[in-house]
Amino acid sequence: MGTTEHISKQFEADLDTTRTRVLQMGGLVEAQILGAIDAFATGDATLADQVIENDARVNGYEVAIDGACNHIVVKRQPAASDLRLTMAIAKIVTDIERIGDEAKKVARMSKRLHEHGPQHAQRFPAIRHTAQIAVRMLRQALDAFARLDAVAAAGVLKDDSEIDHEFRAAVRQLVTYMMEDPRTISPALDIIWVAKAVERMGDHAKNIAEQVIYIVKGTDVRHTSFADIEREIGTD
Amino acid sequence: MAYVKDLSAIRALIASHKRWDLVFALCGFAALMVGVLTFVALFADMAIQGLPRLNWEFLTNFPSRRPAQAGILSAWVGSCLVMLVTAFFAVPLGVATGIYLEEYAPKNWVTDLIEINITNLAGVPSIVYGLLALGLFVYQFGLGQSILSAGLTLALLILPVVIVATRESIRAIPQGIREGAYALGGTQWQVCRDHIIPYSSAGILTGVIIGMARAIGETAPVITIGALTFIAFLPPAPMKTEAPFLSFDWVMSPFTVMPIQMFNWTSRPEAAFLQNAAAAGFILVLMTLAMNGLAIYLRYRIRKNIKW
Amino acid sequence: MAKAEAKGLSFYYGEYRALKDLNLVVHENRVTALIGPSGCGKSTFLRCFNRMHDLYPGNRYEGEIVLHPDNANLLAPTVDPIEVRMRLSMVFQKPNPFPKSIFENVAYGLRVRGERSRRALADKVEVALRGAALWDEVKDRLQELAFNLSGGQQQRLCIARALATDPELLLFDEPTSSLDPIATASIEELITELKQHVTILIVTHNMQQAARVSDYTAYMYLGELIEFGVTDELFIKPRNKQTEDYITGRFG
Repeated sequence: MGTTEHISKQFEADLDTTRTRVLQMGGLVEAQILGAIDAFATGDATLADQVIENDARVNGYEVAIDGACNHIVVKRQPAASDLRLTMAIAKIVTDIERIGDEAKKVARMSKRLHEHGPQHAQRFPAIRHTAQIAVRMLRQALDAFARLDAVAAAGVLKDDSEIDHEFRAAVRQLVTYMMEDPRTISPALDIIWVAKAVERMGDHAKNIAEQVIYIVKGTDVRHTSFADIEREIGTD
Repeated sequence: MAYVKDLSAIRALIASHKRWDLVFALCGFAALMVGVLTFVALFADMAIQGLPRLNWEFLTNFPSRRPAQAGILSAWVGSCLVMLVTAFFAVPLGVATGIYLEEYAPKNWVTDLIEINITNLAGVPSIVYGLLALGLFVYQFGLGQSILSAGLTLALLILPVVIVATRESIRAIPQGIREGAYALGGTQWQVCRDHIIPYSSAGILTGVIIGMARAIGETAPVITIGALTFIAFLPPAPMKTEAPFLSFDWVMSPFTVMPIQMFNWTSRPEAAFLQNAAAAGFILVLMTLAMNGLAIYLRYRIRKNIKW
Repeated sequence: MAKAEAKGLSFYYGEYRALKDLNLVVHENRVTALIGPSGCGKSTFLRCFNRMHDLYPGNRYEGEIVLHPDNANLLAPTVDPIEVRMRLSMVFQKPNPFPKSIFENVAYGLRVRGERSRRALADKVEVALRGAALWDEVKDRLQELAFNLSGGQQQRLCIARALATDPELLLFDEPTSSLDPIATASIEELITELKQHVTILIVTHNMQQAARVSDYTAYMYLGELIEFGVTDELFIKPRNKQTEDYITGRFG
């Protein structure tokens, strides 16, 4: 992230390739979320199957990028920003992969939900909105990662409270449905699972943003209050 | 993919390059043989000529007008005693000078000037030393035409050799050893006494002996200060039966040395004396070789413990 | 707690200013590493501490190196460099045992300090060799030549030689640069053990080594101290761009 390049061109190239792959993986997972939510809203079983199938590609990325990180550690013994970047990538990749898992979970749930009857999901557009926030957070986190922009990363952290709020509202609403009509209990529980999955995506996106702040600032902002984080980022 | 080099061309090239190896090896060997064969021929000629005279009497007889009874007793004893005096003066003076110049002297133009002059002194013709000694030791100091005068003269002659050898072997000591000793808190003298002198002693001894081997064959300066050519007595013995048991009367005694004895014999008309000269020369060469052998042995013995 | 402190230290080789106004604290019973590219002055700095530069003409110090607790300025012209070297010890880049026996090598510093008693010498030599983790390997051959030891053993012998005189500060000048990885590891292990009792200042061209053995690290460049700090922080999150470029291999 310095302006100067490494003396070793190969090291420079290795780091670049790994970063690019993280972004590619992020892009793939983004598409996975959108696909899963579409499947959830429309009941498109083919789309849901495709999402489930694609998760293997996400896992493939995770393994490959982890291997690249090990390779960099072994061959280059990275220090300072390179060390932070490498360590952070290893963690970011885990979070992206988890998001992929959540997308797969949503796709599976949608299939089951629509086997019971399509009307339930359609009655619940709020989930789609929450998922859009999650996608936005992921995109913003990856963007911050691509540009190594701590301020943008801090924005992601702010969005997470929004998604938590949406999740609680959805749960309250679903509880009301279940009380009104006990027959909806089973599909409502499934929908809660989906909402929970989407909420988890937001958490993972937040973790990614925290790692970006660590790469840029060298400060571990996990388990830190948002006010403290903002102060840390303002110390330029 | 792997491409195959034209091996036959490479081999031809190597062969043509190697021809020059052979050419030089032959030239070098020829050059070596010129020197070695000349020396062997001279030595063999001397040995063959002198062999009939090489016997115990030759070593224990004084010179005589009759060639068959003439011996080199006074000459070899004289040579040995003169060498003793030479070593006695040249070694401490030369070693101390060398150590001072290497370890103590400040690096400035005076030191540089002294250094250059010492190197130049090694190239001064030996007869010049003889003249200097004649004026200084024989007349000025009144030491006369004695073993002491000759020893001092030859000491002066080999002093530059000893100094240069001392300095060279001190310089061969790695700076790391020196710094290691200083870092432990040693003073200059402690470092010199415990490290510099012991580790350079092999080189110094070699230098001293090589210098002495040169001095033992020197004729000109010894003649200049007036060594006698015909001595039929030995200097007073250095040991006495009564206290203080040691005597230094011998240093003031007149003397002759091996090369002068040879010179004297070669200038005689009788062919038999030439035989004597050859025999004496043979022994002189043996003495020189023995000294060089000793130098090699000592260097090997001392260097065995030192690896850098 | 500070064991030694460089204050406004500059050093000149003749007219050339090799060190520029260095300020650095060496903490007691800690390992402080000096890193930087070749020619940055890290060895020159180290050699100021035991006045090694006094051995050569034309060298000049400015500023102070203060040794605690007595606040003696080691560079003061009134202080004899030999007195300084009696207080500090140094281990060099290349193992430099004397061509003497193992015992005599370790005993030499004590002999220089006038120790005559055979008993005391033997005791202190043993303690020093144990301290340098060499005793078990050489206890049966103390009279053998030091040159018969392997490179790593020779360097540990030099460490024992430096320890025998009970130094207040131990200086290491790239102590593993001529050793293989195994010997290097044993020396690093030893340094970590030694810091329980001795304050150590080490110059190394191997950044990973500095990261492994030191508690504090100073990065030097062109005779200046660019950054000094806790080793972990300096290697994970350096404050200075130049330090960052150097330790990440962007230098040049």
